[in-house]
Amino acid sequence: MVDVLLSDAEKTFIIHGIQDNLRDDGRGCEDYRHMEIETDVVSSTSGSAKVRLANTEILVGVKAELGEPSSGKPDKGRLEFFVDCSANATPEFEGRGGEDLALEISNMLTRAYDCPKCLDLGKLCVIKGQQCWVLYVDILLLECGGNLFDAASVAVKAALYNTCIPTVTVSQDEGHVDIELSDDPFDVQHLDVTSAPCIVTLSKIGHSHVVDASQKEEACCLARLMMGVTEKGTVTALKKEGSGSLDPSSVEEMMETGKRVGQALNKSLMEVLCLEEQKGKKKEKTGFLR
Amino acid sequence: MILFPKHSMSTTPEGNLGQRICHLDENIICGQGTYSKNGFVYSSRAGYLHKLQSQDDKILFEVRSNVATTTVPSIDALVTARITNVTPRFCKCAIMSVGRTLLRETFRGQIRKEDVRATEKDKVEMYKCFRPGDIVVARVVSLGDAQSYVLSTAENELGVVIATSEAGSTMVPISWCKMQCPKSLSEEFRKVAKVQPLFIQYSGT
Amino acid sequence: MPTDSRRIAGPESSTNPYSFCTEKPRHDLLKNGKRQDGRKENNLRPIFLKAGVVSQARGSAYIEQNETKVICAVYGPREVVRKEDFSMKGLLTCEFKFAIFSCRERRQHQQDIEEKDYSVQLLEALEPAVCLDKFPKAQMNIYVTVLQNDGSALAAAITCASVAMADSGIEMYDLVAGCAVRVAGKNLLMDPCNQEEYKPEDETGLTNSGSVTVGLMPSLQQVSAISSKGEIEFELVKQAVAKCVDVCTQLYPVLQQALVKSVSERQNEEG
Repeated sequence: MVDVLLSDAEKTFIIHGIQDNLRDDGRGCEDYRHMEIETDVVSSTSGSAKVRLANTEILVGVKAELGEPSSGKPDKGRLEFFVDCSANATPEFEGRGGEDLALEISNMLTRAYDCPKCLDLGKLCVIKGQQCWVLYVDILLLECGGNLFDAASVAVKAALYNTCIPTVTVSQDEGHVDIELSDDPFDVQHLDVTSAPCIVTLSKIGHSHVVDASQKEEACCLARLMMGVTEKGTVTALKKEGSGSLDPSSVEEMMETGKRVGQALNKSLMEVLCLEEQKGKKKEKTGFLR
Repeated sequence: MILFPKHSMSTTPEGNLGQRICHLDENIICGQGTYSKNGFVYSSRAGYLHKLQSQDDKILFEVRSNVATTTVPSIDALVTARITNVTPRFCKCAIMSVGRTLLRETFRGQIRKEDVRATEKDKVEMYKCFRPGDIVVARVVSLGDAQSYVLSTAENELGVVIATSEAGSTMVPISWCKMQCPKSLSEEFRKVAKVQPLFIQYSGT
Repeated sequence: MPTDSRRIAGPESSTNPYSFCTEKPRHDLLKNGKRQDGRKENNLRPIFLKAGVVSQARGSAYIEQNETKVICAVYGPREVVRKEDFSMKGLLTCEFKFAIFSCRERRQHQQDIEEKDYSVQLLEALEPAVCLDKFPKAQMNIYVTVLQNDGSALAAAITCASVAMADSGIEMYDLVAGCAVRVAGKNLLMDPCNQEEYKPEDETGLTNSGSVTVGLMPSLQQVSAISSKGEIEFELVKQAVAKCVDVCTQLYPVLQQALVKSVSERQNEEG
């Protein structure tokens, strides 16, 4: 993780504050920071989204390409996650510096999305066993201000919501298969992301736990629990991260919080996304100017 | 000192790793192979539990195992090292053993010019103290930087213990700063250690 | 995927013959309260655990749970060669590898993403248990090889690696016991074998289908690793974790026994 330098006194200040449900930026333990979402920000993609969570900024682009389905799932499309830690975020990421973090984020996302009910990949099949849509989800970290996993998962969900897959028609003659792409740019399919998961990271700090830890709080935290939570409250992925250990009872408490927060996060995310779609072309574009 | 080779409280003779030994109070000292947490003493190693009485009537718990314990150089430990590289300001060496424990892999160490001997530090000439290939006994001064440990030979008992002459035979010490080759009778300069087996054994961590 | 040019990779494309046969869907994980291999829901497979199996390593262990076989060797403490910042804490590294022939499908020689993920999980499971301050600025290397995978490989690897670490004589706060559970419908199947393990490509049609793996430090009662796959209802996750914690606690004597045996064997050898 990207570290900030923090003295012992500063750490104690943060830990004691959290015990009294007061964090150094005035939030409660279960509050997220201010989040801004904008979809359709990069026109060269099939779908894109930009999420800004306080000073964490993540840009996600989805590219849909035709490819071969995996042998285990011949009648399904594929979803591939790739995380790029831009050296813009921190010079530590230069070269191969961000590789471990990138792999960790993409593994967690892969795991969270790797269940049949999260996303209907059957819709992405073109010819069974031969051709399917492959969705390359590329995640670009532009700024690291803590809680990358949650922000990345929100951005991925928003980008998938925004993704348009061109309609294709398959015609078959004399054992020869033709795939024809629709000419109409508005003849597209959308993905249903209502049951896609969001990742909620719970950081154990002192004797309590918080959601959406800032960079400073991450420096005080030894063990984190990450959960992929869907709108229904089911858990699609669970992972302990960090060099510390957790009490079984606090694992339970953290999971309860994670479920509650995750459901609320999913709900408000979907509301925001629907609102933004309704505005359509009329919406005010901020892009990268703030 | 009274020594109980096997702990009377535990059911197995072996104090097992992670096993709770007893309540921690002011009369108990956690020795090697144990640690205290939340008011209890736990064993941190698989081995035999020893209960020792210290002079001031306190009980010292130690878990000893037959596996070598000291495995990394620690501050104040005596180490045996082979000189690999000599420059005017310092020499580099490979630490081969810590105390009496032979290491499987060497650690890098360095002896700076000012740590070679205790007196007349400014007159030290590195080439007259060490040559590559010499075996030295030294003390760890600090853990140094990410690269190497900082060693010192600024004691009479520390310095070169084995050295080979240019003629190729093992030299014999003739003074604190000279060694002689028994074949060619040529003399070479070294920072010679006055090896005292007792001293080495006593502080052999 | 980059390939290792020093090795003969075999034909460029080859197919596992199993991929041609249509697998029967595995709806019947549980029949009349019994699993396919005759176990009950809560029953584990018998465990064989032995410490001190690789003579050249500082510590090692081997675990066998019927057809799941894992071997682990620990080396170090050794110097950190890469130029890194000075640290008063020791460094642990972990490499988890499935032997090429260990699974139904042939594995690649180089670590794939799943193995890298397992390496990180294993590392994070062991880190809280090791007294890292006892070997400042040095590193310990843990190598885990799965010789044969018949399910619950990560759980077995956690158990095996913690015993190997203890066998090396490095001071530890506690051992770590690992345990996996398969969630299928309302059933919790402990210690799943390969057939029972959760695979995302299977269409079981169940609302709850997934698996949970937990690593526990039994004496301190601290969870050091937790991971899950598949979509599971919240209450069931909670149950699964609680059950794993229970089972890990029960496994503790097995781990201790293996260590005691290796300690006394070594004592006998010496004198």
